[in-house]
Amino acid sequence: MSERVLVAMSGGVDSSVAAALLVEQGYDVVGATMKLFCYGDSVPDRPCCSLDSITDARLVAHKLGIPHYVLNFEDRFGRDVIANFVAEYASGRTPIPCVRCNSFTKFRDFLYHADALDCAYVATGHYAIARDGALFRGRDPRKDQSYFLWGIDRSVVARMLTPVGDLTKRETRAVARRLGLVTAEKVESVEICFVPDDDYVGVLERHLPADAPALTPGPLVTAGGDVVGEHAGFARYTIGQRRGLPGGFREPMYVVAIRPETREVVIGSGDELFGHSVTLAELNWLADALAPGDAVLVQCRYRAPAVPGRVRDQVGGAITLDLTQPVRAITPGQSGALYDADGRLLGGGVIA
Amino acid sequence: MPKRLVYLDNAATTPVRPEVLEAMLPYLGPDAFGNPSSPHRFGRAARAGVEEAKRRIAAALGADPGQVIFTSGGTEADNLAVIGCALAARERGGPFRVAVSAIEHKAVLAAAHAVARLGGEEIILPVNGQGEVVEDALSEALARGVAVVSVMWVNNEIGVLQPVARLAARCREAGVPFHVDGVQAFGKIPVSLSDVACTLFTVSGHKVGAPKGIGALVVRDRHVVEAIIHGGGQQFGIRPGTENVPGIVGFGAAVELAAREQAAFAARVAALRDELERRLLAVVPDAVINAANGRRAPHVTSVSIPGTDSEALLMHLDLAGIACSSGSACSTGAVEPSHVLTAMGVPRDLGVAALRFSFGKDNTLDDIETVIAALPKIVEKVRALSAVLHR
Repeated sequence: MSERVLVAMSGGVDSSVAAALLVEQGYDVVGATMKLFCYGDSVPDRPCCSLDSITDARLVAHKLGIPHYVLNFEDRFGRDVIANFVAEYASGRTPIPCVRCNSFTKFRDFLYHADALDCAYVATGHYAIARDGALFRGRDPRKDQSYFLWGIDRSVVARMLTPVGDLTKRETRAVARRLGLVTAEKVESVEICFVPDDDYVGVLERHLPADAPALTPGPLVTAGGDVVGEHAGFARYTIGQRRGLPGGFREPMYVVAIRPETREVVIGSGDELFGHSVTLAELNWLADALAPGDAVLVQCRYRAPAVPGRVRDQVGGAITLDLTQPVRAITPGQSGALYDADGRLLGGGVIA
Repeated sequence: MPKRLVYLDNAATTPVRPEVLEAMLPYLGPDAFGNPSSPHRFGRAARAGVEEAKRRIAAALGADPGQVIFTSGGTEADNLAVIGCALAARERGGPFRVAVSAIEHKAVLAAAHAVARLGGEEIILPVNGQGEVVEDALSEALARGVAVVSVMWVNNEIGVLQPVARLAARCREAGVPFHVDGVQAFGKIPVSLSDVACTLFTVSGHKVGAPKGIGALVVRDRHVVEAIIHGGGQQFGIRPGTENVPGIVGFGAAVELAAREQAAFAARVAALRDELERRLLAVVPDAVINAANGRRAPHVTSVSIPGTDSEALLMHLDLAGIACSSGSACSTGAVEPSHVLTAMGVPRDLGVAALRFSFGKDNTLDDIETVIAALPKIVEKVRALSAVLHR
């Protein structure tokens, strides 16, 4: 009897190919699509997590000859991911819901189902490589998604299968075409699945009271404390943003800080955006924990290069790292993912 | 792949019976493919098939052939009854208002809702703990005046019967058209419209071995209903459009067979259902049979298994080769109990944990054996899962 694996099938090409490759490798594959949210009739179907996507996943499963189910995680996803997304913006930070989705939904709640179904493994279409209990960057540097995986439970890694982690996106599509999967030419979704049309403020407006400080006007100030204008709510801004700021300065101005307690959005020149250290909270380790003095590579933004750093100190559940080169727009709420020189993901935390 | 597949979802649909397919084939081929409205021999051949089917269906239901209006299925027939009556009433200056029971199929509930959205009004008649319509609520609705009252004979989720003959008599007394959704009743319990003074009656093909896409509304008074789709005037203009001749012919054959076999079918599946319930309660002692003390049709049982959820149960049962259905729906937001169980006052935790087993002519004791052998382990696993997921 071959080992059973539960594959998370979003209805996109990557997870379709993941399922197909596992079938070819002889696993007993069960497919499942997580239904994470539902806007009812108010928003048309999204390219991800929607009924159309469920149908695509179902068609692929049928083609592969594997069972397929829909798992309803709306309650838990709403609580663990969407509510946190809203709370983070409300406190002046810029969250990455995909990180929490991986930590709480895909690699925790989904595992509960895998356990009940006697699955030895779970698989996804992530561009990352799980090998011998360790997680590594995906082979395709433009697609690598390991950055979003730092928060998953270490014990899960040994049960992860990452069939497309060794492929480039082009190779993944080639497999899908070879097998005639309906998802082969599907356009990639790049937005946050529950944020229609990239309008995250719209999501905040639906979840926050109309008079929430994050959505009400406040002062635009310089680092020196001069009030230079008014903004329409600090949740509309993120560190490094240039759009929507007043002109008339000698050089281009960017958001350099958000102060929720005074509702101030601080703007400054490009130089003021660079930081030489980063503090990470909500730490999670996928390898042995680092200690003060340890050298490591730190990635502070998706698709940004990892830069060398060294652990300066550890206070409570947070560590501070000194960076050997300045990093632009280190943004509270984003993730700091920690790697070694071989591209192994060692862990990470939320930028404080 | 599981060794043995068990299909216990016959209330959802049934396979086409070989006799039915046989009857349909000539009407797909070169001899009788014609348009029944055409004046030539091809048309006449098709017309003969349609009229013969109509005759058979009318005979099986205790109606007149001229009262049988073919539709694309139960949903369309229900819509035609509810919306068509509302439109006709408005046309003649009557009440633009409909009354339907809270446990109707969505085809009726959504049609009633459509009437409300068109500027009319929907009255939802509540049911008691056994799923029977509260008759005082009907009295109130009749007193206010409605275009139509719609109550299903047999509920599709829990199998509970409504006293349609009595309700029909009360509506007739009040001069209000009465529609009966008989989709789950026909072929399962004795159905004779000569005993039930309803004005309109819905029957569907694919629940009794005909193909999907064919059904009928029996219209015993053409004045009470107005067309909701418009076209060439076929079927008195009540439901125009070229008839689905092969479907109609198959439908006629299936209905005739189902009527002939009804008593034997009912006795057989009632015994199977009772056996399943008995043995299920033996292996899952805290399971709850929904509407256990109500009057029920023989082919459906709804069972709630405390501490589980339908979604996970169905998945595990399917992996074990067992196909059944849930009593819950994911419509908007999270998994919720079905509107039927909610209307009956079934607590939410039991409502989200309901399974519907529905029997058909091909089920055997071996099927029950398979379910009973698989279920305890599945219940144990799903309970462990639900304890984690829903804490």
